[in-house]
Amino acid sequence: MKFQPDIGTPIPRVDAKEKISGAAAYINDIDMPGMLYAKTLRSKMAHGKIIKRHYPTLPEGYAIIDYRHIPGTNIVKAIYEDWQIFPVDEVRYIGEPILLVVGENKDVIIDILEAIEITYEEMEPQFEWIDSVIHYHYEKKHGSRPFADANRIIEHTYETGYQEQAYIEPQGMIGYLDQDKMTLIGSIQCPYYVKNAVLMALGWENERVRVIQAHVGGAFGGKEEYPSLIACQLAMAVIQVNKPVKLIFEREEDIIASTKRHPAQIAMKAAIDSEGHIMALKVHVGIDAGAVIGLSGVVLSRAMIAATGAYTIENLDVTGDVYRTHSVPTGAFRGFGAPQMMFAIEMFMEHIARNLGKEPLAYRMAYVAKQYDLTATSGTFRDPILMQKMIEEAMKRSRYEEKALQYQNLHRYQGIGMSFFLHGCGFTGSGEATTIKAKVRLRREASGVVHILIAAVDMGQGVRTAMRKLVAHMLEVPIDQVIYDLPDTDCVPDSGPTVASRTMMIVGGLVARAAQRLGMEPQIAVEIEETYHQPSEIQWDEARMQGDAYPAYSWGVNVVEVAVDPVTGEVSVVGAWSVYDVGKAIDTLMVRGQADGGLAQGIAYGYLEVMRHHQGKIQQRNLTDYIIPTAADMPPMETYLFDNPYAYGPYGAKGVGELTLVGGAPAIAKAIEMAIKRQITKIPVTPEMIMELMTHGED
Amino acid sequence: MAKIEWMLNGTPISSDIDLSMRLLDYLRDHQHLKGPKEGCGEGECGACAVLIDHQIANSCLVPMANVAGHEVVTIEGFAKTKRYQIIAQAFIDCGAVQCGFCTPGMIIATESLLHHQPQPTISEIKVALSGNLCRCTGYNMIIEAITLAAKRGRGEW
Amino acid sequence: MVEARIPHSLQEALILMSQATYTIVNGATDLLVQKRSWSGTIPKFSQPPLYIRGLKELDYICERSGMLEIGATTSLETILHHPKTPKILQHIILTMASPAIRHQATLSGNIQNASPAGDSLVGLYLLDASIVLHNRHHERVISIQDFIVDVRKTMREADELITKVVLPIDKFSQCAYTKVGPRKTDAIAKVAFGGLIDIENDRIRDIRIAFGAVYKTVLRSRKIEESLMGKDRSAVPEMKHVLLEGYASLIQPIDDQRSNRWYRKTTALNLLEAFLDSISR
Repeated sequence: MKFQPDIGTPIPRVDAKEKISGAAAYINDIDMPGMLYAKTLRSKMAHGKIIKRHYPTLPEGYAIIDYRHIPGTNIVKAIYEDWQIFPVDEVRYIGEPILLVVGENKDVIIDILEAIEITYEEMEPQFEWIDSVIHYHYEKKHGSRPFADANRIIEHTYETGYQEQAYIEPQGMIGYLDQDKMTLIGSIQCPYYVKNAVLMALGWENERVRVIQAHVGGAFGGKEEYPSLIACQLAMAVIQVNKPVKLIFEREEDIIASTKRHPAQIAMKAAIDSEGHIMALKVHVGIDAGAVIGLSGVVLSRAMIAATGAYTIENLDVTGDVYRTHSVPTGAFRGFGAPQMMFAIEMFMEHIARNLGKEPLAYRMAYVAKQYDLTATSGTFRDPILMQKMIEEAMKRSRYEEKALQYQNLHRYQGIGMSFFLHGCGFTGSGEATTIKAKVRLRREASGVVHILIAAVDMGQGVRTAMRKLVAHMLEVPIDQVIYDLPDTDCVPDSGPTVASRTMMIVGGLVARAAQRLGMEPQIAVEIEETYHQPSEIQWDEARMQGDAYPAYSWGVNVVEVAVDPVTGEVSVVGAWSVYDVGKAIDTLMVRGQADGGLAQGIAYGYLEVMRHHQGKIQQRNLTDYIIPTAADMPPMETYLFDNPYAYGPYGAKGVGELTLVGGAPAIAKAIEMAIKRQITKIPVTPEMIMELMTHGED
Repeated sequence: MAKIEWMLNGTPISSDIDLSMRLLDYLRDHQHLKGPKEGCGEGECGACAVLIDHQIANSCLVPMANVAGHEVVTIEGFAKTKRYQIIAQAFIDCGAVQCGFCTPGMIIATESLLHHQPQPTISEIKVALSGNLCRCTGYNMIIEAITLAAKRGRGEW
Repeated sequence: MVEARIPHSLQEALILMSQATYTIVNGATDLLVQKRSWSGTIPKFSQPPLYIRGLKELDYICERSGMLEIGATTSLETILHHPKTPKILQHIILTMASPAIRHQATLSGNIQNASPAGDSLVGLYLLDASIVLHNRHHERVISIQDFIVDVRKTMREADELITKVVLPIDKFSQCAYTKVGPRKTDAIAKVAFGGLIDIENDRIRDIRIAFGAVYKTVLRSRKIEESLMGKDRSAVPEMKHVLLEGYASLIQPIDDQRSNRWYRKTTALNLLEAFLDSISR
C-alpha cells in the first residue's frame, strides 16, 4: 500500500485557479445567442387587492409574463406550498414580484415597466405577530410541571433581528429551450429543488426539465428555496418568447425581495429549586415568516429542538409559533433557526446564574451535555461529547480566566465572552430517509477515470475539492483521475439539496461507501450506486417531536473579545478563538475557511448587521446601509479542531458549515455585557443600544 | 457618443462610445472581459475592481469619459504578469478563495497595495481591502495570503 | 440636443457652461450611484454631463503664498499623501470610503455634493477653507461656510465651476477627529466630530469645533468658539457645562436607516466632552 497522508492534510482547491483569474463562469458571465433580458415589476404595497392592470402596447419582441402564463400550478414547490409564482389579485408584501417584462433592449424594458399601471385597493397590512400559521409543542419528562414546586422562577425574553445572506453574487438565472427541454442554469444550492418546482409549475413530464449549476458566488441558505421562484417565473417567460432569457437581480431588489433570516422572539422561563438548580425550562419561540410560510415550519422546529443548546436540562416544555405578516418572506440562512435559539439559551444560562448570584461559567459548565444524556427531544447523545476538554482548550488559548478577571474593572470597557453550542447534522429526524432519499453514483470509465455523480453544489465551501479528495484517497488514485463537474440534473442523481450541514456527512458518507465498493470491484468500467438508509437506532416521532432529531451532532466553543468605546458605544472585536468537534476534518484548511467565515457572520449577526422594516418596507436597501464586516472589522481568529469520528461519516466527518455561525452572536453579546456591565437581551447589539444601556440600562 | 483614446490591458484602444457608460458594462458587454463582477453597482463591494494607472478603482463607478487618456488593467490583463502568479499562488496556498466572486477584486486590491507598499503591515492590508467585501472567509486567510505574497515576491514590486 | 462632453481645457469647460446647463461630473463616485438604473444601461442624467475629471490643469496640490491650494480634479488619495495636507484632513480622508473610491473621488466633488454627512466638509469648515469658482468671465472666492447653504444646495451658479480649494497651512497644536460609522471603514457617518486647537503657554490662541451629520450642514458656532479664545486651558472644565449646553441647543440630528436622533446627539456631545477634557489635561 502506498503512503497516504492523513485525509485532513490540506490540498489546493480544485477550482481556485479559474476563480482567481476571473475565468470561472458565474451566471451573469454566461451569454447565449439571441438572449433576452427579464426584469421584475414588484409590489410597492404591503397588502392590497389588484383592481386593474394596465399594460401598454408592446413593441415586437417584448412580452409581459404574469400568472396567466402558468400552464401548471401557480405555486412554488417547497416544504409548505403557499408561495405563488405570480399573484393573481392580491399582493402580500412590498417587493412581491407581480410580472416580468422580457425583451432584448434593457432601456425599452424599463420604459415598458414604467408604462405599466397596477391599480390597487389598499388592504390593512398585518405586522404584529398574531397570525400563527404553525404551532408546535413538545415536552421532556415532566414538562412544565416542576414549575409548581419551584423555589424561584426566572424569566427573560430574547429578540433577534433580520439577517441578510449578503452573498456577493446576487441571485440570477438563465433559461432556454433545448429542443423541447426547459433548461435552467443558475446560481443555486439545490438543482433538484429547482427542477421539481419547474416541473410542477409547467406540469411537464420529468425528462423535459433540466437544471444546471453555474459557479455560485456565495449562498448561505439564500439560494436554497428562493431560486425555485425565479426559475418558475423564468420558465414561463422562456415558453412565451422561445429564446434564452437572463434574469439577474440588482442588489437592491435582492435585498428587499429575497428571503432573509427570521426575526425571533424567544421567551425563556426557568424553574429554580432551593439549591439554585434548574428544575425545568419553559420556552416559547416565535418567528416572523413574512408573507409566505415556505420553510418557516422547519426553521421553527430546528430552533425548538435546539432549545437547550449544548446543555442538558431534565424537564422541558417547548412551544413555538410561525407568524405570518405582510413583510418580506424569511427563509433559509446558514444555521436555520439555531442562531436565534443559541443566542437565547446562551444568554439565559448566563442571566440565570447572575440572577442567582452564582459564577456564570461554573454554573453553565455544570449543565453541559454528556454522552448518553437525553437530548431536548428525549433522544440520546450516543456519541462521545468532548465539550469539557474543548472548553478547557478554548479558555487556555484565549486566556479567558485572566482576561475575565481583569475586565471586571468598571473602567476597562473590555470584555470576553464564551459560547457553548451544538448543531444537528443533516435533515431533522427521519427526513433524510423519508423525504430526501439521497442517491449517489460513482462511474469508472475504462480509462480508470472516476466520475462523482452527485447534485451537491460548491458554493464556496469547497465540496468539489473535498469529494474528489475523498474518492481519490479511498481509491488511492491521483485527484486528477477523479472528476466532479458542476451538477446537471440530466447527468447526476438526486443526492439531495446542499443544505443542513449534510453534504459531507450524508452525501460524502454515501460517496465513501460507493468508493469502497468500487475499490473492490474487479471490473474497470462500472457504475456503483448508493442510497441512504437511516441507522436503525435513530427513531423520530415527527408529530410529537420526540426521539433522535439528528443522527449526529457537531459541537463548538467560541470565545470573542471586545473593547467598547464608552464615548461612542462602538465595539471593536479584538480577538476570536474557536474549538470545534466536526468528527474529522476532510481538509483542515477548508474547515478553517468555514470556521472563519461562519464566525464572521455569527459575530456580525450579534453586533453589526441591522435590518428592519417600517410598515413592511425594508429600510436598509443596499450594501451601503446593510452593513457587513470589512477586513478592518474582523479580528485575528484561531481555530482548533478535536477529532471525534462519527461512525457513518466518511473518515468520521460530521457537519461543519452551520456550526461555525451559531455561536458567534452569544459570544460577542456576552463579551459586550462584560465590557459595559449591562444585561443584553437583543441582537444586534448596536452602538445605539449600547449607549442606551449605558445611559439607562440595568446591571 | 464620442471618441476616447485609452489603454486596455496593454493595448491602445480608440472607442466611439457613450461617455456615460460605466466602465464595468463596457468591459463585460463590449469586451467580454467577465473577470470584473457586479456585486452591488455602487462602489461598496469591490467585485468590479480594476486597475487604472496601477491604482484600484471600482469600474461600476467609472464613466467611460474618465478612462480617456488612462491605462486600465483588468484581472485578465494582470493575469499575464509574474506578480499575478505570485499573488495567485499565495491565495491558493492560504485557502483565501471560497466562492470566488470577490476574488478577482481582491487580487486587484492586492496588486494596487503592493505596487505602492511592497511590504505592508497587517493594518495597511486591512485598509487596502476595506472596499472589497468578502462574505465567505472572514478575511483572515486573505490577509495571510497577501502577507505571503509580499514575502515571496520581494523585489517584484 | 446638448450632448455629454469632455472639455480639454478649463477654458473650454467654461465656454461650454456659458452656453448650456451641464451636470458637472468629476470623480463620479457619488453621481454614478445616484444616476444608475439597471446594470448594462447608461446612467441617466437630467442635464448633459460635463466630464471634467481629466482636466490636467486642475490636478495639483501645492503651497502658494502660505496657503495650500488643491485643484478641483486632484484625487482624495493624492491629497491624503501630500506632506502639506493638514493633519485633520488626512485623518478625515482616511475614513472616507475605500482606496478604490479615493483614487477617483475629489475634494471638490465632495463639496459640490453638500451632503450633511459629507466627510471632508467637517475638516474644511474647521480650516475655514475657501472655494474658488470660475465662470467664463469671473473668478470669485467664497468661504465654505457661505458656499454650502442647505442639504445638497450650494451657492454655485449653473455656469460656474469649482476650480480649487484653498486651505491655510496647518498651525494647530492639537487636532481631533472622530467619524462614527456603522463599521470601521467604508461607511457613511452617523456622527462626525472634529476639533482643532492652538495653545501657547497654556493659553488658547485658537479653537475650532465642528460636527457632521447632526444638522443640515456642518455645524460650527463661532460664538461659542470665541468664548474660549484667550482663556487658560485650566478654565475649560468649569466652562464645560455651558459649552455642552450651547452645542446641545444647536445640534438637530435626524432619525434614519443608519441611526437615530438621540444616539447622534448623545454621541456628538460625548465626543465634544472628550475633546474638552483633553484640552485641560
